[in-house]
Order: sequence, then structure tokens, then C-alpha cells
Amino acid sequence: MDLPFAVEAIKGLFSKPSTAMYPAKPSTAAENYRGRIVFHPEKCINCMMCERVCSGHAITHTIEKTEEGDRITRTFYLGSCTFCATCMDFCNENAIEFTRDYHMIATKEEDLMVSGTFIKKPPVRKPKPAAPAAAKPAEAPAVAKPPEATADAKPEAEKTAAAAPVKSAESAPAVKAEPEKAAAPAPAAAPIEPRDDGKPVSDPSKCVYCGICAKKCPMQAITVDRASKTWTLDEDACIACGTCAECCPKKCIIM
Amino acid sequence: MFKKLIEESTGKSPWLFHINAGSCNGCDIELVSVLTPRYDAERLGFQLAGSPRHADIVVVTGPITRQSLNRVLRTIEQVPEPRCIVTMGSCPQSGNVFRGSYAIAGPLSKYVHVDVDVAGCTPKPEAVIDGLALAAKILQEKRRAMN
Repeated sequence: MDLPFAVEAIKGLFSKPSTAMYPAKPSTAAENYRGRIVFHPEKCINCMMCERVCSGHAITHTIEKTEEGDRITRTFYLGSCTFCATCMDFCNENAIEFTRDYHMIATKEEDLMVSGTFIKKPPVRKPKPAAPAAAKPAEAPAVAKPPEATADAKPEAEKTAAAAPVKSAESAPAVKAEPEKAAAPAPAAAPIEPRDDGKPVSDPSKCVYCGICAKKCPMQAITVDRASKTWTLDEDACIACGTCAECCPKKCIIM
Repeated sequence: MFKKLIEESTGKSPWLFHINAGSCNGCDIELVSVLTPRYDAERLGFQLAGSPRHADIVVVTGPITRQSLNRVLRTIEQVPEPRCIVTMGSCPQSGNVFRGSYAIAGPLSKYVHVDVDVAGCTPKPEAVIDGLALAAKILQEKRRAMN
């Protein structure tokens, strides 16, 4: 007589049950399990990338104007979350974290809300050097080309400017006297130096004016005009998140 | 005395009825894994019922599609009072990634009172067991309030 499962059956008599004794024996989730979200409001810079990429519309925010600045509360509704971690991947500041806590049971909707509040201070305005008044205040220091020509600038100043590297806003405003073609980046060899407030600068010798940075900017602070080959930054809107520098195919944006 | 005995015993063995309202099948499979020997919720008294009229706890999965809405509500009505409604996964609570779709009538809380939400996409079986345990507790309280 053939008993094909006899060995298995006898083994099964003496082996332990395979049932996980869950409530009696607590179990931890696997490593890299994506459970309850932890939000670090002190790291958040309010670039809103997480809200843009969230497929479940689980991330919302409220803004309250106070004297110290904007009081921003960002809320994650776990009842609408897919736990795909796209928000975590897109967060440049690592303000979003997924934990291994899987106990997300609620009788009320509020129990599934994870939120954090932080205060975003208005940008500190530096006193500008005697810049030309002709251009708009937001645009003038941000254009990665040398500042606009002033009427009283002397031709000697042009030669010195071409030799010395041009800094963005701090450098002397006198650069050029004659109006040049907009397409020609003036001192070709001049290295671009990062700004001390952490905002982006574009290197006109590398830039191809593709406009990807303008498209990716969460605050729409960058304007790129392909026809006239200009790269303009709206300083007030820029939050120095670094998304433009990251997405630049030519890596010509320096933070 | 008899009534009390019945009350105590029914509290220890709530029966489940599972409604799939357009789920992607992820939550359904997790619920099955909760009831089968690996996690074995039956050792805690939970049993899957074949008919809504036998059930105490209704587990709803899926984002409540327009096609299923009427059927879900009719099925829930057939469950005798006291009943407890558990939503499993993010979909019945908010619509999840299907939110804003023309085919979605949810969330479920728009139509019936939901007692327990188990969040996750999909929830871990341990979380489902916790959610069902909480539902059983709420059910017992409801039953006491009725008598």
C-alpha cells in the first residue's frame, strides 16, 4: 500500500501550528514597510511638491497670516493615502517620513490626520546697492547676465568687468555702456558664483533655455524666454527648494 | 438568564459579511488571509457569514462605485441591528487614488454611519485583526444599549 503523504502527516502531528499568534505576540512590520506618516514641520519649506505629486489628494495645507509670518499647517489624511511614498521621494528637505507603525485604526476621521505647523518668515530684504532704477525691482538683480547698463557708466568699466568675475547683486553696478545683443553672454569665461541666500543662479554659458526649470518650479518663480534667451528669477516667489537645480539637464543652475 | 447567555456568546463570536464595492482585490485578499490559518481570526471568534442576514459586522472594501452603491446600501440594510460597519483600506474612506472619478459615488460615510476605519493600502493583517477587535467591542456596547 502506498501512503504518499504519510511522512508529512506524521510530521504535522508534532510540528507547531503556523498561525501567527498576533494579539498575544505583537509583531513588527518588515524593514522599509511604509506605514504611518511622520511629518517634520521644522524641515518643511512649503514648496508644495508633495501636494502636487500626491495621487490620492491626501495632503492639504492651510495658511494663516500672523505677525511673525505665514503660519502653515500641512495635513496628511491617512484615510486617503496610498502609501506610495512619492511625496517622500519628491521632498527635497526630507520632511516626510514613513514609519513601520501599521496600527492605523480609527473611529473618527480626525484620528487619521497627521499634521504639523510651522511659521514661514517673509524673505529678508537686503538693502540693494545703487542699482539702476529702470528695470523692475524683482527682475534686475536676478538676471544671470550682468546688470543693466547705466547711463553714467564709463567705457573703462567695461574692460575691468570683463576681466574680473562678475558677482550677481553685490558687484558694482557699472558694467556696460553700449547696448549689446541680448543673446551674447557678456564675459564668457566669468565663473558664476553661488549666492549667499541659497537661491539659484543660472550660468548663461551653459544654459540652453529649455525651460524645464520654469516648468518644474513649484512657485512659478522662474521665467525662461527662449526667443530672447533670458532666464529670470522672481526672488520674492523663490523658496530656494533646489528643484530647478536638480532637474536642469545641463546642470547650469547653482544653488 | 437565557437571554444573557445568548448575549454573552454572540459578543464572543461576531460574524463577518464582506462587501466588495469595486475594490482592486488587494484588501479582499488580505481579509481572506486574516480568516485563513496564517492569521486565523476564527480563533478569536470571527467567522465569515454567507448571508448578510447572519452577519454582525460588515466589512466594506473598494471605493463604492456608482454601479455598486445601491447594492451596497441594500445589503447593509439587510444586516440585522445591532450591526457594525468597518471600512477596510483607504478606498471606502475617501476614494483614495480614484477620488474625483466619474464612476465613484463614495466615500461610504456619506450614506451610512461607519464605525471603524482601518487605514492602509492595503492594511496589514494585524491591523485588520485590531480593527475587527475594536468593531466587536463597539458591537457589544451597541447590543447592551439596545437591551
